[in-house]
Formats: sequence, structure tokens, C-alpha cells
Amino acid sequence: MKRIAILSISIIILALSFGCSDFLNVKPQGIIGDAELSTPENIDGFIIAAYAQLANDHYTVPNLLWPYGDLRAGDAYKGGDGPADIAIFHAFEIFSTIQPDMSAYSPSVLGDLNNKKWERQFVGISRVNLALNRLKDLTVKAYPKKLEREAELRFLRGHYYFDLKILYNRIPYFDETATVADILATSNVALTSSALWDKIAEDFRFAADNLPELQTDKGRPDKYTAKAYLAKVLLYQAYEQDENYNVININHSKLTEVVSLIDEIIGSNHYKLTDDFAENFLCEYENGPEAVWSIQRSINDGTLTGNLDFSAMLSAPMSNEYGCCWFHIPSQNLVNAFKTDADGLPMFDVFNNTDLDLNTNTVDPRLNHTVAMPNLPWKYETQLIYTVKDWTRRPDIYGNFSSLKENVSPYCECFKRIPPFMSSSKNTILIRYSDVLLWKAEALIELDHLDEARIIINEIRQRAKSSTGRLHYADGTPLANYNISTYSSFPNKEFARKALRMERRLELAEEGIRFFDLVRWGIAKETMDEYFQTEKLKRAYLVDAAFVKGKHEYLPIPQQQIILSKGLYKQNPGY
Amino acid sequence: MKEINSLRLKLRHYALLLILNAFANISFAQYVIKGTVTDATTGYGLPGVNIFLKGTNIGTITNVDGTYSIEIPAKKSVLVYSFVGYKTKEVDITQSSTIDVSMEVEVIQLEASVVVGYTTEKKKDLTGSVAIVNLSDVKDLPADNIIKNIQGRIPGLFVTTDGSPGSGARITIRGTGTINNNDPLFIIDGVPTKSGMHELNAKDIESVQVLKDAASASIYGSRAANGVIVITTKSAKLEKTRIEFASNWSLQQYTSKLDPLNTEERGRVYWQACVNDRLSPTNPIYNYVWNGDFNHPILASITYPEYIDPNKTMKPADTRWFDEISRPSVLQNYNLTVSKGGDKSRSLFSIGWYDNKGIIKETHFSRVNARFNSSFNLLNNRLTLGENFTMSFQQEVLINASDVLFTSLVQQPIVPVHTEDGGWGGPAPGMTDRQNPVRLIEDNKQNRYKYSRPFGNVYLQLDPIKNLTIKSSFGIDYSLYYARAIQKKYVSGFLVENNNTLTNNMNYYGNYVWSNTATYKFNIKKHSADFLLGTEQIKYKSEWYSASRQGYVSEDLNFAYLSSGAKNQLNAGGGSLSTLLSYFGKVNYSYNDRYLLSFTLRRDGSSRFGKNNRYGNFPAVSAGWRISEEKFLKDHISFPFYLKLRAGWGVNGNQEINDLAIYNIYQIVYSKEDPIWDNPTSTYHPRLGTAYDIQGINQGQLPSGYIYSQIGNNDLKWESTAQTNLGIDFTLFNDLSGSIDYFIKNTKDILYYRTLPSAVGEANIQMVNGGNIRNTGLEFMLNYRKKINDLTLDITGNLATLKNKVEYIPENLLINAPLSYIVPNEAKTELDRSIITGHSVNSIWGYVADGLFQNQAEVDAHAEQTGKGIGRIRYKDLNNDGVINEKDQTFIGTVDPKLTYGLNLDVQYKYFDLSLFVQGVSGISVYNGYKTYTDFASLWPGTNWGRRTLHAWSPENPHSTIPKLTILDRNNEGRVSTYFIEPGSYLKLRNITLGYELPPKVASRYQIQQVRVYLQGQNLITIKNKGFTGTDPENPNYAYPIPAIYTLGLELTF
Repeated sequence: MKRIAILSISIIILALSFGCSDFLNVKPQGIIGDAELSTPENIDGFIIAAYAQLANDHYTVPNLLWPYGDLRAGDAYKGGDGPADIAIFHAFEIFSTIQPDMSAYSPSVLGDLNNKKWERQFVGISRVNLALNRLKDLTVKAYPKKLEREAELRFLRGHYYFDLKILYNRIPYFDETATVADILATSNVALTSSALWDKIAEDFRFAADNLPELQTDKGRPDKYTAKAYLAKVLLYQAYEQDENYNVININHSKLTEVVSLIDEIIGSNHYKLTDDFAENFLCEYENGPEAVWSIQRSINDGTLTGNLDFSAMLSAPMSNEYGCCWFHIPSQNLVNAFKTDADGLPMFDVFNNTDLDLNTNTVDPRLNHTVAMPNLPWKYETQLIYTVKDWTRRPDIYGNFSSLKENVSPYCECFKRIPPFMSSSKNTILIRYSDVLLWKAEALIELDHLDEARIIINEIRQRAKSSTGRLHYADGTPLANYNISTYSSFPNKEFARKALRMERRLELAEEGIRFFDLVRWGIAKETMDEYFQTEKLKRAYLVDAAFVKGKHEYLPIPQQQIILSKGLYKQNPGY
Repeated sequence: MKEINSLRLKLRHYALLLILNAFANISFAQYVIKGTVTDATTGYGLPGVNIFLKGTNIGTITNVDGTYSIEIPAKKSVLVYSFVGYKTKEVDITQSSTIDVSMEVEVIQLEASVVVGYTTEKKKDLTGSVAIVNLSDVKDLPADNIIKNIQGRIPGLFVTTDGSPGSGARITIRGTGTINNNDPLFIIDGVPTKSGMHELNAKDIESVQVLKDAASASIYGSRAANGVIVITTKSAKLEKTRIEFASNWSLQQYTSKLDPLNTEERGRVYWQACVNDRLSPTNPIYNYVWNGDFNHPILASITYPEYIDPNKTMKPADTRWFDEISRPSVLQNYNLTVSKGGDKSRSLFSIGWYDNKGIIKETHFSRVNARFNSSFNLLNNRLTLGENFTMSFQQEVLINASDVLFTSLVQQPIVPVHTEDGGWGGPAPGMTDRQNPVRLIEDNKQNRYKYSRPFGNVYLQLDPIKNLTIKSSFGIDYSLYYARAIQKKYVSGFLVENNNTLTNNMNYYGNYVWSNTATYKFNIKKHSADFLLGTEQIKYKSEWYSASRQGYVSEDLNFAYLSSGAKNQLNAGGGSLSTLLSYFGKVNYSYNDRYLLSFTLRRDGSSRFGKNNRYGNFPAVSAGWRISEEKFLKDHISFPFYLKLRAGWGVNGNQEINDLAIYNIYQIVYSKEDPIWDNPTSTYHPRLGTAYDIQGINQGQLPSGYIYSQIGNNDLKWESTAQTNLGIDFTLFNDLSGSIDYFIKNTKDILYYRTLPSAVGEANIQMVNGGNIRNTGLEFMLNYRKKINDLTLDITGNLATLKNKVEYIPENLLINAPLSYIVPNEAKTELDRSIITGHSVNSIWGYVADGLFQNQAEVDAHAEQTGKGIGRIRYKDLNNDGVINEKDQTFIGTVDPKLTYGLNLDVQYKYFDLSLFVQGVSGISVYNGYKTYTDFASLWPGTNWGRRTLHAWSPENPHSTIPKLTILDRNNEGRVSTYFIEPGSYLKLRNITLGYELPPKVASRYQIQQVRVYLQGQNLITIKNKGFTGTDPENPNYAYPIPAIYTLGLELTF
């Protein structure tokens, strides 16, 4: 009996242990199948994700291009705790240490930020292409907004490519039809610079043709946003450059199109300049009449920290109201540029001969909207006085100023601490209407319509002049001697250019734009040389700065990408 | 009623029997054998010797004086006497009822059983490389983590650990074999686990065996590529009730500490750095009185403001932060084990309490382990049922010790711990954003995690026919982690948090394993063989969630539960699931006890791989030749010796990849995963968000979408490691024994995430197979054991070498080297295949620092190097192109130790015992990231710096190797370079123990079998290379330092 019992148990065990062939077929946890996502409802999800990449930036890879547009243009110092505090951004500032592989730069734990920026732009592009591909499979009947959404997506793709183009010049270009294999076979030098511009312009053209005149969702571009961006692309493309980035021709037909596009925009009365310059940089006026294209930031939105303005996360000063990290510090040269002469006009060639002294100099009011200066109220809060001792971090290295535009008042609802950093839900304006108007003025000057350009520049200056309502101490006295006036005439094209270029600097300072202007105009080398010559006497760390023409106009293609492409990508000249 | 009566009758009957037995040597078919067991050399009685009747479970154990008595059913039988460290003896019983036995010391325990995977084998029959940990060497160590305690004792086993009370330890067997998980597989009482060992009570462990080579590990094929550690817990012996109590109390404290500047020195160094740069030393916290002459600067005095902060709350201080956060602390450990054996059932119960108050204030770890195991013999011993069950419960204060230690080094000394009104001191303007370490402790001391782990198995063993055993075991290993922690509001200098946040985390994970085996043995003349066949099923599951809220009116944890929070409700969760199904078999064959052959085959299926490649086959063969048994040797060598040659080859598998690696992944990422730091590493790819405020309404629920984040790969297959092992085991003159092993370990089809060019977009990573890594090494183990009268001497030494080399890497792989977790992330670089091939995967890549520029002529003579200057680091122009740039990088150090060794010495004299253990590594480089703080004023200008800055280069101090002080890092000296590479060799006196055992005769007067007390010191002496400038080369960066521990211990057995 016992033996039988034992034997039968043994047999049962053996039988059981070889059962269950399905044991290895387990369902994957927490992910969705491909097919389940191709429904009209889910397409919206892919489109939103393509937008979301706009707000997925970070101080190491900001979509407000301050490290690339301001640090490289003599408008701002890196700031922070000294040159070693993000040495790659320091390299951007002095140029001489920019190299294709910066992964060993301190603190190397951050990785190669040049590579990271490249990567993030392509994440945006891939999200767009993914959504476009899925959209293509739907009929208009199943998804009535098909064409409109396609236009939005192509606008976004244009945007992500545009930033890549101005940062790296030669980039691999492909659209949603490209397979992974196609992408792997696409070199960054397959298309000429001009052909790349055409591709980018094509997306914006499509968007301009197919977007509605008005969008109820403020975050979506409309027809005029697309026309504005198209104008921007054409403006950049109009300055035709040789291998050394010398401007060899200015394409008038492109500029004519720029003018006509912007005229359409003006004619639509879709946008206008805000009454006070300040309103562009205050949360309360978000998505205002001057905001052409903005990144929508949000707070208390159920995400871990809120989808805050991560690009400005390092910009706050050191006082108890903030605490970290005092990056993006306006340069002395920029501050001096706000000086005005007795006529209330900029001092084109001599502004930097002496440093600005608020007691003796008159200034453009935009100075106090842009730059926080010692012993003046901070961000229109008359009770908060900005001081060198308590608000700056390394005045011995980087001087006494702070940047205001991206910062918000600590009392703002939109302000949020995410220790050790802080930021706000203030939108990041990527294209302002005044920027658009100045593109037109720029085109007009190159097309020799000086007076029409002057009217635009004066309109901008007039607004600046009337933007002093917030620039006073608690007792009502103004923060500085403001003396700003309009141009009565442009005697010649050279003067008009100077006026335009100065106006762009003053109007758009610290908004991550200037370096790209300098490269477009082909004057990066001489501008930076002149800047370094005087600035390095004031800021010892700039002694190593040196700009090499034909090289430093663009960042190197990240070494890692060259390796990953198995050498298919070609390095930019000079590196 | 009738039944009860008959029971009573029976009891009476048995009682009578017992009485009769006690008074006379006669019984009804029962015979009593009595006697004394003594040590053959000393003649002393041996307590605790196991005695059993051969072929049965009948047995007993000797008393304190070595006497015993055993009842046996038949006169004609054999008694087996066995005792650890002595040769097992068999005695035929014929007539005599008194049998005295004297036992001889055995040098190597050839008869000792070794658990080699589902079965046991005798050590003499082993053909693979198996190391047995001598647990008696480590039994006096505090019982925190068994892995920590065996550090340095097994050649080829590299353990790294830190001093945290929760004591993690990481282990690598025979080098880094793969780019993914390098942890070995643990088998605890037959239940496989990859979880940590620190939940296990070290005192519950009976044996630890390390299966190093493929031949021995391959039976665990599925996950054995990184080696297998087999742990068997204690169970009852054949004996009467036995009660053991062991306890120790330890005091621990720092022996090494970092040396930051004090307030005045910090001020002086800052001034010097400024004047070196010809910059006016302006600083919000230091006012300098100096001559203002940059050519001949002289500092007269430093004055301080009344308050260092704008709010006037902090007076200048001179805080020694390290002293504020550390303390000598107490570690306690209590264990009680009760066991009872018998021929029908055995059981053991143990309970242990381990309590470690760490050397960082308020850190605290405690663990309670309860363990129960029993077994029952039924149906004439042909059916055995049993179980092993452990429940461990632990909790630890959630203080991030490495943050605390780091900030205690870098927080400026002028910052007071508290403000004048008792608030928190903290960084003031002009300083960097580092937390007050005391606040980090005090604000977190109420937070703990709780962790419990039920672990164990039930089994059934059948012997249906002679020599056939069938065993079925069902095991579980589940973990439950729970934490509720409040992050308080604070104002600490300019660091301010206005919101409090309560976070709740729960993580449930683990697996069950069901294994079934059948073994069959036979002996025919000179042939003997045994067969093993088996199957195993494992299902692993994990689920987790976390939730948080803000806005708590009270920060008391008695109040602060999720529901008590007012705003910002957030939550997250996830899970994973995987299964393994395996079939395996093994044949051991031996001819004439001289030629040994073993063959293993295992076939494993894993749900992690695509349908086509689910199964992997893992074969192994090994052979042994007991050459000393051969006549041609035996006849010519007169002294006693034993020699066995071993050779083995086998393949093991690895499947430690993400459960989702084969799938295309589409994900919703409502909140980006690492919003604040946004720092992807090679192992962590935080997902970017998919939600966007498209309507521009600034708050509230956002629309969200999907991303495609991973390209699936249905072709994934097992990574495999083929290992060849050659070994020799020997014994000479009965007192010297040892083994030598040589191995070649080749890992191929390595599983890794390949990176495609970023143009491919978000899904540019894909798990693939490819790449070969080779590890080779030599391992020696030598033991000398001698007994001279009352003195026993036991010396064990071990030594291992290791060489790692990347043999081949397929296209598109960037290796983030070094792989070693010892190296801080900032020194890791993504390296192209063409660069890393031929080098160790643990090589550091960077610039070569070639001393300091002494004068302008040297500066001018050097290649173009932005920022070069007198007193600055000169980087080598390796490619001689006249420019220092990224092309001048090379391999600058390897963090694999070339040599690891350990030496244990035990001396026993009468009732005293002394043991001593030294351990060391050499030929290792460490990346000392702390140097960015200790040597420079420029790399972290707003923090405190090390005292080494006082000895920086200057024209007056030209022999210094520390670069000239500057506040402007113009020369980019924080770059990864040889400046930070230091020799990490060390030799440590790990522990020294002195014990005394009460003579058994005295002890027995108090009904005690054994009493022992001991004193012990751990980590007392460290000898390190002069080139190492940190505190502990074993722990070079921000890890919790390893303390010195002084212990008093007591052992009692009843």
C-alpha cells in the first residue's frame, strides 16, 4: 500500500512539473500595444506629446536659448559659482574651449550638454513624425481636423529644425516618411545650407496655408504664427553665406517675401505691441497681444513639480526670497548699450567707452526691465531692493547685475520653489511681435526702404519710452534718468543698419537671440573681438576668450553623434 | 474512555522501558552503547560529536565531557562518529556495549558535504571550483550582512561595502563579465534569489559556499553566469533539546575623517586665490585688511560682518560640521536558537535582534529575524516533509547619509548650525546652495522605511525505491517595502521650502519557485554514479505605487497621513512580471574513487526573450583525477599526501534585463520623470513628459499623450558565459592543504542597450545582444593547521589575480566606462567600441595631468592649452598636434584590483582563542572626486575646501603638486584627468578577536554546555598608498565611511 502511495505521489509530482507550456507567455505590464493607439482619439495624444517637448526643456538644454544666444554674443556672462560651474556653458562664453567632445568637462556628471541639446531637438522631431505618420492613416471623415493638425505638426517640426539649424548649421534632414534605416543613412551634409532652409520653410508654408486664422487653444499656432515663423526662416535664408560664414549675397526676393508676409500679419490686426514693455515679462499678461509664439508653462497641474519654466531655473538671484543660482548675468557691455545720448538715442560707437553711471548717464527704460542693478527695486517690487551683498553670487567674477526678463516676483502666484532651484509657470515667449516688426524693418533697410524701417523702429522706441510706469522707487521717483526718443531720419543705409541692429539688441536683450543675429549678419567675429577686447579688462576670466572666424559661428556636431553615425556625419569646419 | 486508558497504559509501558534502559544494559530488542569520544592528540573529551547509526536517522551527540549513550535496535550495526574538523570514523558494533573512540584532526575536510545544486557532494568528489567559507572564522562578527563578513576570505570574490547601518554590500565573482547586472545568484535553502543578503541573520547561517566556475554553477544555468552563492541555514542536529544564546555589544566610531578648512583658513585661502588672480578680494562674508599690492600682497587681518545674512539671523561661526553630524555609536546583536532533534522529527526555532545606531547621528537600523524549520519522517523514513521559514522585519531611519557627509565637508564653517533665534543656519549669499547637514538629519529623523521579507520553502522528499529520491520543493521570497516620510518646511539660509510634503511608497515584489528533482545512485564494483533530473518554475512579480500630498497643518507623523494633506495630490505606480521555466540534469560518475566525471545540462526558458529565442541550453563537463591514489605515486612518496587535479568547462546564462526589453514601448508620461535634475545616465533614462498646457490655462489637469520610447527586439536571446577552470587540490603532511585555480571566463552575446544616432528620436535605444568580455585570473588558497599539545594553529591565506578585457564590441555600442559602481558618475564616459576594445571595461578615460607649470618658459614651451599658466596643471599633448583638446584623452586608470588577498590566523591555546584577519587589494586605481573640493578653490568656489589648499603651489612652495590657488577655473581643471586618479591599494587589519571559553567541567556545574566570551576589534588599522589623499581608499567618494568597531561578545549553550 505504502509503496503504491509513494509511487503515485512521485508520478504526480513528475507529471505536474512538466505541465504548463504557457508558463512563459506573460503579458507585458504597464504598456500599450501599437494597434490600440491608432484611433482618432489617440492621435490627439501623439500630437500633444509633440507639443510637450517644447516644455520638456531644462537649464542644461533650455528652449529659451540663453546659453547659445546670449553667452556667445557678449550680452551675458554665464554666472553661477565660477567658470567650473557648468564648464560647457563657460566654453560657449569664451569659445576657445568649445570642442566636439565636452563630456569630461566639469561637472562631468551632467554629460556633454552640446550632445544633449542635439538629442532633445530630435526628440521633438521624432514625436512630430510619429504623430504625422499616424495621422496619415486616418480619413478626414474619421478625423475632421486632419489637415489642421497636420499643419500644426509641421509647424512644430519646422520649429525644432530651425533651432537645430541655427545652432549647428549642417544637420540631417528627413520627414515622417523616413524609416529608421533611412534616418541612419542620412548625413548632415546631404543637403546644402540653403536646401535645409527650403525644407524648413516648406513646413511653415504648409502650416501657414492650412492653419486657421484663430485658435481657441492658446498653445496652438495659427495662420499668423506660421507666417511669422516663415518670415523668420526666409530672413535667415536671405543672408547667403560662404564656407567661412561671410555674407556674400543678400537675397532680395526672400526679403521681399519677408516684408509681404509681415504686412499680412500687420494687416490682420492679430497682434499689437503691449502698452508697457514689462507686460511681456509678467505672468499676469501671459499670451498677451505681443506673444506670437510661446511655450505654455503650467503649475499645480498634477505633474511632479509643475511644467515650469525649466529653462530659467538657474536665473534667480541669491537673496532669501530666491536662493539660487544666479546664472545668465547681463554683461557690462550690454548694460552700457542702454546709455542714451542727449538726443535720447543710442550711442552706436561710443557707448562702451565708459561704464554706465546712473547718476550721470541717461538711459533707455528697457534697461530696468532687462537688468537688475544694485540698490534698485527688483522686478517692479519696490519693497525688494536688489543689493550686491545679498543678491549676487560671485560679484568678484561676474559683476553686479542679474537678469530680469525670465525671472518673476517671489510674490507671484506663478513662482515655485523646487529646491534647490526655483522657477515659475510664466510662459516663455519665443517670438514677440516687436521681434517680427524688427525683421520687417531689417528687410526694408536691406531693400533700401529706410524710412519705412525707421517708422517701425520708432514705433518700438515709442513703446519703450512709454514703459516707465513700473520703473520707480517706493516713493515714486524714477529709477534712472530716462531719455529716449525716436529717430528723425536715417541719413544712409549704414546708419539705418546700426540703428536696427542696436534696436534689436536693446529690445530683445537676454532673450537668447543676439548671437544668431550676429551670425546672420556675418558680423559675429568683429563684434565678439571688440567685445572681448574691452570686457576682458573688466572680467578677468575672459582673458582666454577668442573667437575663430569660420568656426565659432556654429557649435561642433557632437562627437558622440559622429561616432554613432559611424562617421556619416561630417564635423563643422574648424573643429 | 477506552482509548484514553489504552494510551495511559502505553505511556506506562514506555516509562517502564526507559527506567529499565537506564538501569540495565538489556532491553526488549534495544541495545545501549555508551562510551567517550576523545581527541586523539590531546586525549580531552570532545563535546558535540555527532553519532549516528549508519543507514538510519538514529543518533545522538556527546556531552560536555565527551561521553555519550545511544540506543540501537540491532546489535550488528555500524556507528558513525563525525565532528567538524576531525576525520569521520565508523565503528562496527559486535559485542561490546562500551565503545570509546578517539578522533583525529583532519586538515582538509574531504568528507565534508558541499551543497552543489539541488544535491550535495563530498568535497573530495568535487570537480569544479567551489569555495567553502569557514564560518567559524566570522562567527564573532556583528551579524549585519554575511557578505560583508566574508569580504577578503574567498579568492576571486570581490566585495565592496560601506559603513551604513543598513549595510549594503556588492559582490563580483571573478570580474565584471557583462555590461548589465553583475550580481551573483544566491540560493538560500534551495530558493534562488537576486535580492540582498542583509535581511538574513548571519547567525542563522550554517554554511556558505561559492560556486565560482561554470562546471559547478551550471546546474543553476539560467542565472549563474555571475557565479552562485549557496547558503544553507541551520537546522536541528540529532540530539536533545539545545539552547544557544549569543550576543554582542559594539561601539563604533570614525577612525578617518576629512579635513576641511576652518572659518579663518577658508577666508585666507579665498584671499590668496583672489590676489593670485590679481582680483580684489571682495566677498560678502569676509572683509580683508591688506596692503592692496598685487605684486607683494600681505594680508593683515580678516574681519567678519556682524551677521552673514541679509535678514541678520546668523552670526559668523566656526562650525566643525563633521563633528556636528557624527557620533560614536552602539551596535547590539542578540540571538536565541532552540533546537531539538529526533529520528522522527527535528525542529529549530531562532530569533535574532540586530540593532545598529549608525555613526551619523540619528541613523538607525534594526532588524528582527524569526526562523523556524522542521522536518518529519514518515512511512518508515521513506517520506520526509519539512519546511524552512524565515520572517525578517527591518526598519531604518531615512536619512541620506551620503548627502549628510557630503554637505558636512562642503558647508562653509562660518555658517552656524542654528540662527540666533534657534532656526536653521544655512548658506548665505556668496555661498553655494548646500544644505545644513544637521538640518538634513533633524528634519528626517522621524522618517523610516519598514521592510519585511517572508522567505522559505516547504518540501517533500520520497524514497520510492532503493537509491531513488524524489524531492519537490515550493519556495517563496517576497518583499514588502513601505515608507511614509514627511519633508518639512524649512528656512535654512537662502534655502527655503514653504511647502511640506508627505510621501507614501509601497513596493511589493518577489517570486515563487517550484522545483522538482529526482536523484538516483548506484554502485557496481568500482563504478559509482549518481543521476539528477529536475524541473524548476519561477514566477517573479513586482508592483509599486507612491503617492504624495502637500499642505499639512502639522508635521507630526501621527497626523501626517495622505488624507490629512490639503493640496497637490500626486501619485504614481507600476509593475512587472516575468517567468522562468527550466529543465536540468546531471550525472556524476566515479571509477575506483580515482577518476571523477561530471556532466550537466540545463535548458532554461525566460519570458524576457522573444518566442524564437526563449530557451537557452547550458552544458558543462568537468573531470577530476585523484592522482595521489595512483600506485605510481603512492609507492614512491612516503609522507602523507593528497592530490587531485580538476578541469572543467561550462556555459552559464544571464537574462537580467528589463522585462519589457522585447517590446515596442508606447508610454504615457504625464509628469517628466526627473524634472529637477534631468540627468540621463547609461542606466537611467528618465522619460520626458507628454503632458502640455495646450489651452494656456496654466493649471489643472493637462491633456497628455503618448511617446514611443523603445524599439522592441524580438530576436533577443540569452547572454552566455563560457568558463574554463583548471584546478589542483592538495594536502601535504596532514597539516598543509590548499588549492590553485586558473580560469578563463568569456562572456558573449552581452545584453545591452544600443544607442542609435539621436536623429532616430526618442526611441533611439534598443536592447540587443553582442560583445565579448573576457576575464582571466589565478586563485590560490592555502591552509596550515597544526596542533601541538594544547596549542592549535590555523592559518589560511588566499590570493587572487584578475584581468578584464573587452574582446569585441559590435557597432553602435558606446560603453559607459568604467562600468564599476565604485567610480562616481562624473568620471564615466561613453566610449566608442574602437577605443575600449582591448581594455578593461573598468578603465577610466581622460586627460593626462603632467605636473604643474613652474615658470613662464615652461608655459610658453607647451602646446596650445586654453587657460595655461604658471602653477596650473599641464595636460599632455598625447597626439603631438600642438593643441590640447579631446583628442588628448587616453585610458588613465583601471578600477579592477589586480590582486586581492586575505590572511586569517587562528590560535587556540587551552581555553583561549585568538584570531586575526588582514585583507587587502592592490593594483587598483580610484577616481577621487573629493579632490575637486579638497584641492581647489576654483572648482566649487562657494563651498568649503580641504586643508590641502593651504599647501597649494606658489613661487615659494614650488614642489607642491596642488595647483596654484585661483578662483577662476580658466584651465578647466575639473576635467577628468590623472590628477584625480589615485592608487587605491590598501591593507586592512579587518578584525582581531580574543576569546575565552569556560572549561567544560566548570560550566557543567551550572548545567551549561558551553560559555565563551570574547573581545574584538574591527577595521583597526588601514595601510594605504601615500599617493592616496582621501580618507579610505576602499570608499573613496561620498559613501558612508567604514567605522572601527569594538565588540564584547557572549555565547552560551545549554
